[in-house]
Amino acid sequence: MDQPSGDALTDPPPEELIAQIALAQDKNAFATLFDAYAPRVKFFLMRQGASPDSAEELAQEVLLTVWRKASYFSSQRGSASAWIFTIARNLRIDETRRNKRARVYAMVEEFDDVDPDTPHDLVSSKEHALRVRSAIGELPVEQQEVVRLSFVEGAPHSEIAQRLKLPLGTIKSRLRLAMRRMRKSLEDLA
Amino acid sequence: MKITHHPTDETLAAFVNATLCEGNTLVVATHLAHCPACRKAVREMSEVGGGLLDKGETTPISDGAREKCLAKLDAVPPEPTEAGTPMPEAERPMSLVSLYEDGKWQWVGPGVYRKFLDVPSLEGTRVFMLKAAPGTRLPDHRHVGTEWTCVLKGAFIHDHGRFGAGDFDEADDSVAHNPYVEEGEECICLVALNGEVEMTGWLGRLIQPLLRL
Repeated sequence: MDQPSGDALTDPPPEELIAQIALAQDKNAFATLFDAYAPRVKFFLMRQGASPDSAEELAQEVLLTVWRKASYFSSQRGSASAWIFTIARNLRIDETRRNKRARVYAMVEEFDDVDPDTPHDLVSSKEHALRVRSAIGELPVEQQEVVRLSFVEGAPHSEIAQRLKLPLGTIKSRLRLAMRRMRKSLEDLA
Repeated sequence: MKITHHPTDETLAAFVNATLCEGNTLVVATHLAHCPACRKAVREMSEVGGGLLDKGETTPISDGAREKCLAKLDAVPPEPTEAGTPMPEAERPMSLVSLYEDGKWQWVGPGVYRKFLDVPSLEGTRVFMLKAAPGTRLPDHRHVGTEWTCVLKGAFIHDHGRFGAGDFDEADDSVAHNPYVEEGEECICLVALNGEVEMTGWLGRLIQPLLRL
């Protein structure tokens, strides 16, 4: 189920499906999101070292969180995919008990004030996501590799350095250049 | 509040990917509590994760998992958003710090106090708040490992500039500095220390055993 880059994974787009869940507890919307995202989240989690069973369990947990927290989603903060990415990350951290990191992340997210009177601007959040996506695609191969190891596999910089047999400073500078280029692609957007 | 020192982009990326130890995560988060620009950067970097999720591969979900999930929905209805007022900005940094149990302020040198936070660490990171009186000159020191700092109150100054409330300082073994606290107000910082700090001045060498920094 290869998607042409830039197209939303679902029709209607995932942001609208999430809004449907928040508004009307729409189970069909949930089923559509589940089909589109659960296998992707499972892939991510397995790349991060989870066993197939626990990756699947966690992927389901991620989608259930999307259902429960649907009304907290705001396209002012970013795209649905980015939100689901952060939910997966938070649940992965939360797996280890006696670890307050997940709480720290949740609090930082709450600091992003969302103006309830501003309507969801699907167009600009979609434009945002599109630009980031095409910026990743245009990165030099060696930067893409470091970005993928960081964001998909969740590997710390030191581990990436070991795996690629490169100095830590090289990994950091590649990541820095990649992030800079990606952020530059957004500069003229609000 | 004017923030001039930020985490590097690769540090923010590591935060987004949750690959920092818990102590460093807390120090970065405390900076984020002060800094809308870095919160925006973090959101933009989350789009990279979202983009890779969209474009990435899939692993099939086993038969029946979707139905099992659908069957659970009634038990966990979508939560209505709470209409509470957002936390005032001034309270945000300490709201993060106070997630962790703290000890008592301990005297570590003239005008300098330290209080440890109970942050679990696999890597041996020590997290503490450091409080120093106005005008205090801290001993010259060099780092073996890394020392990440977020200023909570007041300001200190060293080779790399002035660090006031919200500023983030990432020092590693390439840095030797002799910070001093600005006159006028005491300075309180949150510090995550990986590895050791080596005192370089004669006074520092003398008090290092006391400080056990």
